[in-house]
Amino acid sequence: MTPLDYLLLLSLLTVVIALVAGHRSMGGVWLTFTYAAQLGGLMLMAGLTNQPDVITSSLSFTILGQSLTWRYDALSWYFALITISAGLLSTMYTAGDWGEKFRADGGNLWLLHVAIALNVLSMLILLGSGDLLTLFIGWELVSWASFLLMILAGGPSIQAAIRYITYAMGGAMAILAGLALIYGHTDSFTYPAAANILHSLSTAHLWAPLLLLTLGFGVKMALLPLHLWQAAAYAHTPGPGAAFLGAISSRMGLYALIVVLIQLVGLVRVIELPVLFSFISARDVLAWVAAFTIIFPTFTALRQNDARMLLAWHGIGQGGYMLLGLVMGDALGSAGGLMHVFNHATYQAALFFSVAAVVYRTGTADLNRLGGLVARMPLSFLAMLVGIIGLAGLPPMNGFVSKWLVYRSLMLEGEPLLFVAAVVGTLGTILSVYKLIHNMFLGQLRVEHENIREAPWSMTAPMLILSVVVFVTGLMPGLVLQWIAGIQATVGLPVIDYSLGGLDSAQGSLDMLWVVGVLFAGFGIGAVLFYSGGRTHRVHQLDNYAGGHFLSADIRYHYSDNFYPGLMRLIGPLYRYSFAWLESAVQSGLGLLSLSTQGFYRRVAPANYALVTAVLVLLWVML
Amino acid sequence: MIKDIPIIAEQAQQPRRTNPLAHVFDELMNFARSRSLFMLHYCTGCGAIELPPAMTSRFDMERLGIQPMVTPRQADILLVTGYVSIKTLKRIILTYEQMGSPKHVIGICSCTVNGGMYWQSYATAKKLDEYLPVDLYIAGCMPRPEAVISGLQKLIDNIKHGKSDNWKDYYQRYDHYLGNQQHLFGNNWQTPTDVIGEAREYGLFGPQTLGQHTELLESVQKPLQPLEMKL
Repeated sequence: MTPLDYLLLLSLLTVVIALVAGHRSMGGVWLTFTYAAQLGGLMLMAGLTNQPDVITSSLSFTILGQSLTWRYDALSWYFALITISAGLLSTMYTAGDWGEKFRADGGNLWLLHVAIALNVLSMLILLGSGDLLTLFIGWELVSWASFLLMILAGGPSIQAAIRYITYAMGGAMAILAGLALIYGHTDSFTYPAAANILHSLSTAHLWAPLLLLTLGFGVKMALLPLHLWQAAAYAHTPGPGAAFLGAISSRMGLYALIVVLIQLVGLVRVIELPVLFSFISARDVLAWVAAFTIIFPTFTALRQNDARMLLAWHGIGQGGYMLLGLVMGDALGSAGGLMHVFNHATYQAALFFSVAAVVYRTGTADLNRLGGLVARMPLSFLAMLVGIIGLAGLPPMNGFVSKWLVYRSLMLEGEPLLFVAAVVGTLGTILSVYKLIHNMFLGQLRVEHENIREAPWSMTAPMLILSVVVFVTGLMPGLVLQWIAGIQATVGLPVIDYSLGGLDSAQGSLDMLWVVGVLFAGFGIGAVLFYSGGRTHRVHQLDNYAGGHFLSADIRYHYSDNFYPGLMRLIGPLYRYSFAWLESAVQSGLGLLSLSTQGFYRRVAPANYALVTAVLVLLWVML
Repeated sequence: MIKDIPIIAEQAQQPRRTNPLAHVFDELMNFARSRSLFMLHYCTGCGAIELPPAMTSRFDMERLGIQPMVTPRQADILLVTGYVSIKTLKRIILTYEQMGSPKHVIGICSCTVNGGMYWQSYATAKKLDEYLPVDLYIAGCMPRPEAVISGLQKLIDNIKHGKSDNWKDYYQRYDHYLGNQQHLFGNNWQTPTDVIGEAREYGLFGPQTLGQHTELLESVQKPLQPLEMKL
């Protein structure tokens, strides 16, 4: 029995407890403890982050001469840490009043607990995959587990979840085809054999499996143009489920891409691999796909009027930063990309928790029907404030560090256009997160929200824990970068030269301890000036200047609809919904194809076949 | 009912100050204040037409340290440039009360002095200083930019020498001003600003701050809905 066995058994136990006790009122609390136990089991393997080592599970099968094995290395450990923490905090959030209300509103709490536990288990299995076949098995488990979580709320989520599973099945077919191509060359599914054969393949032959695998795993990552399923599927999942999915689910695609692109093919090969008959390489293609994945979904998020949709679209966009940093392939870029996985999980879960708390109290996430909630829900506001600073990538939160690493890498690698693309994406992020916090928490409180209270502690505690993590890992990014350095050593990337406050190397230096110190010193000077200035007088929100008008509570002065009209006048015509159009075109094309092939096996019009055959025979006779 | 008021209010009893440098600080503060005046962009009537030339390159009030400001919270000067209809006066009082102290009111044009050509109008307030403590009048119909500039220089002089304290008069004799306002606007008149509370907070409570008019105000006042932080 290795620590990995303990971890997988604990995860299985969590699923069993969820199945048995998920409907009990204390079930959520017990599950929270079992997730904590899983986290403890993972910590037994914390030694993985220091040396390039693997812990193998005693679980293994041999089918048709192929042995299936599971093992953990630093990369798996890092993703598993995020997965289990996301499961832990989501379940903690669900365990209290949120779950009660969810059940009272007709939701199936038991199924939600089971779905989250199954998701964690299947992700842990995927992360432990030791060969290509187990990778595919884990991949399918993860796909179906997240389908369960997406669909369980019913209503509009059904359509979104079915859209997801359609994409996921298409992706799985592509992966299967890619694996079949590799198996055809090697007769083996092990990583070393696959790596050997992929190294020896010629450029033209390498493209086919590379393209198929990247497309297949890119579906989960929601890379452009395969991203349309994600936002609606995540947003319509019930609160903590959306937080869990938004935090980690699509990062499984990144994990698989790391395995394929970096461990099997090797990033050096990807950088050299030319696109046939052109001057660009496979790396350029991936980087630009990542860059467009940043820009388009982020600016789509800017137009959303539902807080959950806005966050879900950002989840797609932030995935682009991870891939962009990773394919740069240097120490800084790959560290930034990998660190962004952790950072994104922390602030995205905090943001979803905060939005779910608002939905819990007000019953709506419509950005046009909220406002001024900071006076009623200050802790949720605080979590959202910390979260959006992280999401926008501003100091002193952790999102700044990972984005800084990616930017720095793009500059060092001589990619000014990609750098501009990344910055444009950040601009869109800042604009839309301001819209989010303004429309929900700032401005004028609506009369119907006059009497609401802060969310209960079972809901505010997880988001505040995450806020602390977002701040502390922003202040001391070295805490996360030590795991990243372990991953880089394991998968064969250049290793980042980190320190507690960031990094101090020839490629650039960043000391967040100083940055945050100076920032807070600035705040401190402002606070000293403000509070030592003498008497302050707090005035009412309606005691405000509006060109001399007398303001009253029955009129709304909180402008939320048609946010950024000036910007939209400039960029509004650029929203052409081309990807949605492309999707519907593919859909109708496939429909036409299936309709026409139906004719062959249904024999609806045998006369036509007779006619075509007769014409062909006549032609053959005449010619 | 309406009485004439002196332009410079009498000083209320100030506690004796023990700091030997207090006077020096006062001089410094007054100098700094006089050289950095923000003028609220709130103009009424036809006198406003003289302000663009006074503000821009020809007469250039910015060389005196005077700049327009968009909100009353950060403004120092309220210019009332022309006839004041009763409806406008309500807004002027609302805006004036929202300005942070120290604040100064300048009445420009004859209409603010005595109603001017609108003397016979039923809808025009005749004397501005019955409703607000006016620091300075610039008479004329309308005064030319030179006159506006010279009036502003006079205000700067007054501030520098500590002679422009009329804003305190509003707190110390609030009952008097409120009475005149109620006489004009009716008994239901109220503004969102809690002037009495501010007077108490800033230590400007005078013998005439409270009176029969403030009693009337308290009896009709509808408080704004509370909006405090809750945990």
